[in-house]
Amino acid sequence: MDSKKKNTISRRAFLTGAVSAAVTGGALVTTGCKGKNLLESSEAFALEFQEYFKKHYRLMNEMEREKTVSRLERLSKQKQGITVDIDTTGPLENVLYGYAFNVTRCEGYMECVAACVRENNLDRRSNMQYIRIFEMEHGQMSPDQGDGKYFHMVPREGHFYMGVQCFHCDNPPCVKACPTKATWREPDGIVVVDYDWCIGCRYCMAACPYYGRRFNWNQPEIPKEEITKKQHYLGNRKRVRGMMEKCTFCIQRSRKGKLTACVEACPTGARVFGNLLDPDSEIRFVLENKKVYRLKEDLGTDPKFWYFID
Amino acid sequence: MSKPEINKCLYPIFLSCIILGLFIFSFLSTAFSNQEGVTKQYKKAVQKMDRAGQVNAETQVPKNIVRVLDEDQGGHFFTEARKSEIKRFRCSSCHNDKMVSIQGAADLSHADIKVVHGGKEKPLSCNTCHSTEDRDFLTTGKDTRIDPDHVYQMCGQCHFRQKKDWIGGAHGKRIIFWSGERVVMNCTSCHNPHSPRFAERWPKTYSVPLK
Ligand code: HEC
Ligand code: HEC
Ligand code: HEC
Ligand code: HEC
Repeated sequence: MDSKKKNTISRRAFLTGAVSAAVTGGALVTTGCKGKNLLESSEAFALEFQEYFKKHYRLMNEMEREKTVSRLERLSKQKQGITVDIDTTGPLENVLYGYAFNVTRCEGYMECVAACVRENNLDRRSNMQYIRIFEMEHGQMSPDQGDGKYFHMVPREGHFYMGVQCFHCDNPPCVKACPTKATWREPDGIVVVDYDWCIGCRYCMAACPYYGRRFNWNQPEIPKEEITKKQHYLGNRKRVRGMMEKCTFCIQRSRKGKLTACVEACPTGARVFGNLLDPDSEIRFVLENKKVYRLKEDLGTDPKFWYFID
Repeated sequence: MSKPEINKCLYPIFLSCIILGLFIFSFLSTAFSNQEGVTKQYKKAVQKMDRAGQVNAETQVPKNIVRVLDEDQGGHFFTEARKSEIKRFRCSSCHNDKMVSIQGAADLSHADIKVVHGGKEKPLSCNTCHSTEDRDFLTTGKDTRIDPDHVYQMCGQCHFRQKKDWIGGAHGKRIIFWSGERVVMNCTSCHNPHSPRFAERWPKTYSVPLK
């Protein structure tokens, strides 16, 4: 708690005293100050200083990416005492991710939600969740009509469950709404956010018709021992107050060939994830053999997230 | 009097301007919305992929799996082995040629098993699924023996629609990787064969209203 507070304060105070502090910081390093803590914090300071002036992720070259990653890893080590491994794996060739959700299969256990929170280092204080499960009555079609905050034994008689998260639209309205180009569609179809370029205006949130995006009202708080250390620059790395985040199809996992955390955690097999361009993939089997539909298809957002019934 | 004449003269020019404008507009709108849509995109992708080729260093095939005797759309695939998960395996340690002479012995050793499967009045009998000749095996009747690792064959004789979906990937689930070798959960990794319905329970977590 205490160290977290200090972190935020130093981050905020950072701008105001940037120059003078950098000078002192530099001086401390060069004079080889005896206090280990002081030395470390001054290094952290220099790192943050450099971080502040880095480029947009998409404009960085390989070396610049490596540098920012090593700075971030070092900062995490110094400020929180956690060794994280941030990677910048690019999109795999000939891969376009797609997702399907079986509404007849889901039982509303919410294992996916819990797994997502853990995997993506979501803020525990505000109980942020990327996935939302709606309990629906038979006959209802849109989650607008469902109950998104049920808490009772599941599955409930006469009900079905529908998971909603970022749909990774192929024609994403959120991307168009962003004034700083901090969010974009990657070649493998994942819509990502450059957290350091986001100014937290929330235009994207307003533009998204699917409740896909989340805003950090406070500095995310995660118990130290629960932090997922395998991270991606565009995925589950540390975020700060006042910017947007959202589901990234667990970019840190999917680009390594793994299933997303929600798919892996689902005990019923209601979630199907895979490569749309592989004609033999499970997702293609679902799309070609099942009755599938997408939410608000008429908006032309072209989501890569289908619902199906069997 | 000359005004309307000029107008008449300009008429065709106006018209052609409008037509040209429409042309340019439609051209631009198709050029800028190079949206062909994901559906079209994936439908165009018909080239078979080398599954093993997609694997990178971190994707390793899990252990304790068996190759499924059926093929899916992409060829062979694997499922979780079951025998190691069955507490009382090998059944033949008790079920052998020796007669058991204790009263209610089945109750003593299998009292925990209540069959809630296949109709309330007439649940399935043990011997529909378990081979009477060799208890280590399952059966589909008439001298067939099915290894418990290939339990999907046994379930599939009655639930062929689910089996078909399971082979394709719309029922059950794949484990760990979306790429590389396909490994899926077996029927009994999810369903208790004696009571296959999923249990009612509390959700793992809850959601707060969206801000
Ligand atoms: C600890 C010893 C023991 C083990 C291990 C054991 N059984 Fe049995 N089982 C018995 C006894 C005793 C009976 C009752 C006598 C009989 O039918 O042979 C029985 C009966 C049965 C019956 C008939 C029940 C009925 O109501 O007619 C089935 C089916 C059965 N066992 C299946 C299995 C299977 C499958 C396994 C392995 C997964 C297994 N048993 C392992 C002791 C055992
Ligand atoms: C629908 C088919 C089916 C019916 C009916 C059935 N079983 Fe089974 N049973 C199975 C399968 C399949 C397994 C292996 C489960 C696994 O893969 O974990 C099994 C496992 C067992 C086991 C081992 C469980 C363990 O974990 O130790 C016993 C004992 C057993 N059955 C006894 C019985 C008895 C006794 C009956 C009748 C009262 C019966 N079964 C009815 C399919 C059936
Ligand atoms: C001999 C045929 C037979 C076999 C073998 C069999 N089942 Fe069934 N199963 C049935 C019948 C009959 C029903 C009841 C169908 C209904 O109510 O519509 C049923 C129902 C079910 C249900 C739905 C339960 C419910 O209450 O909604 C599941 C799940 C299921 N079976 C799974 C399995 C699994 C897994 C296996 C293999 C271990 C298996 N079955 C093997 C005949 C079979
Ligand atoms: C990932 C877990 C999982 C696996 C693996 C799995 N199922 Fe199911 N199955 C489910 C769930 C969840 C349901 C919905 C059950 C319920 O409502 O109680 C279901 C339902 C069923 C039903 C009931 C009818 C229906 O479609 O709702 C049958 C029959 C069935 N499964 C058979 C099978 C067979 C046969 C296999 C293996 C070939 C299998 N299942 C493998 C999770 C699984």
